[in-house]
Amino acid sequence: MIRLDGVSYAYPDTVRPVLENVSLDIGRGTIAGILGASGAGKTTLAKIIAGFIPHVDGGELSGTVSVEGQGMGDLQLAEAVSRVGLVIQNPFNQISGARYTVREEIAFGLENFGVARPEMQDRVGEVADLLNLGPLLDRSPYELSGGQQQLVAIASMIVLRTPVLVMDEPTSQLDPAGTRMVFDVLSTLRGAGITVVIFEHKLELLHQHADVLYVLADRSIVAAGDPTDILADAHLAEWHIGSTRYTRVARAAQKRGLLAGLRHLPVSLEQAVAVFADDGGAR
Amino acid sequence: MSSTVYVDRGSSIHRLNPVTKLVAMLCIIVIVFALPVWWVSGLVLAVAIIPAAVVSRCGRKLSRISATILLPILVVLFVVQGLTFPGGKTALISWGVFTVTSEGLHFALGIGLRLVCLVLASVLLVLTTHPGDLMSALTARGMSPKFGYIISSTLQLIPAFRDRANAILLAQQARGLSVRGSPLRRIKIMMPLLGPLILGMFTDVEDRSTAMEARGFGSTARRTSLVPVPDSSVQRVSRWAMPMVSLAVIVVPFATGAL
Repeated sequence: MIRLDGVSYAYPDTVRPVLENVSLDIGRGTIAGILGASGAGKTTLAKIIAGFIPHVDGGELSGTVSVEGQGMGDLQLAEAVSRVGLVIQNPFNQISGARYTVREEIAFGLENFGVARPEMQDRVGEVADLLNLGPLLDRSPYELSGGQQQLVAIASMIVLRTPVLVMDEPTSQLDPAGTRMVFDVLSTLRGAGITVVIFEHKLELLHQHADVLYVLADRSIVAAGDPTDILADAHLAEWHIGSTRYTRVARAAQKRGLLAGLRHLPVSLEQAVAVFADDGGAR
Repeated sequence: MSSTVYVDRGSSIHRLNPVTKLVAMLCIIVIVFALPVWWVSGLVLAVAIIPAAVVSRCGRKLSRISATILLPILVVLFVVQGLTFPGGKTALISWGVFTVTSEGLHFALGIGLRLVCLVLASVLLVLTTHPGDLMSALTARGMSPKFGYIISSTLQLIPAFRDRANAILLAQQARGLSVRGSPLRRIKIMMPLLGPLILGMFTDVEDRSTAMEARGFGSTARRTSLVPVPDSSVQRVSRWAMPMVSLAVIVVPFATGAL
């Protein structure tokens, strides 16, 4: 579905590449989480997958990027964006500024693609229900809180029904309930066959919802695999990614002589309960 | 937070197609400026603008905004023209070297009434027409969506950037910056705030451009609109008729020698 093969990229007028030899293979209907410290190149990778690099940003891109077997470099930007939706990091900037209500804001992309009015109304209603935006539909997008704007930004991309959705830290301004809701919505989208690539720092939610995790560090993908394995990887600290609170508790317990001999540290609540119960039983 | 002055009163004027109102406004302006007599402006005011203001139920806000715009201009106009009109012969008031002439005031009345028509018609249009509806109507008639975007986004983003400037100012004040003092001192204090504001705006522009393209703004598809713009066959005819009637109103008096 999404395939990056040996992708390297340097921004215009720079020598040092931001990404080097990045390869990914993400299947259809998958939620792929991409972890990386600040400045690791996550936003750049998001723009490459969505086709904005090199179409808009220019620079030196090598390697191949394809979505559904189609090379993104061969497509016009308008075609690329009809295949891959991109939710950018800052919701304030995702708001078009050209529409006066949340309802119109969500429909803005549909208007640009020439979708008929009755279908637009249906789609806007559906996505508003999905993200609990119903009470906000007639308000100005600029009267909303940062978290509400972020939900509108997500809604405005989901409504386009692109087969792939790339989300760059889409829950950075959301409260815990809003964040959980967004991840639940992503699981629903996966059920509908949509492929989601999410760049996030919320490890526990990624563990719950992602099918595969990639770690971006040192300008390349340094680890990939099952979320449980990746989040238990002892190298995460070296890559400045941190670990789940359950892993941190288990490490602290080991320092105090508990959980002796435990090889795989827990990354979720269920795993933590199990290992502590086992340890308590053994005592 | 939006800078729009639109007042939602749901009147029949509000329900008109925005292009119909725009054409009417342009016709009014062309007539009052093409026919250089004060009573034409007075007539337009009496038979078109004031009734429309009453029907729209926006009269109070229309008066307030228009007065703010017009009062300083009219005061200066009457004082200057009353005192310095070159063809002024009939003195009304004399005070030392200053003489207010009847011809000067008459000339000022003509110009002033035209300006009153111009401002009232324009303000009435923006009070009764949501900018989003105006842009949708114009885009539906072939105006470039990019041009429409520039107008719409300017209306909304200026207040947003003003809020950002306030946030930067508050952040600086929280670190001990004092903004009190003379106007010159205040300007000097504000200068360092421009850096973060302008740099932030550049980043925003790049980000916003990406977000807009991601939502198909560069698409060549024929655009549709979520919100239907009201229209009728009567309005479609009137949009053609109004310019033709205006042309006749302007040409006939000159052709017959009435003016």
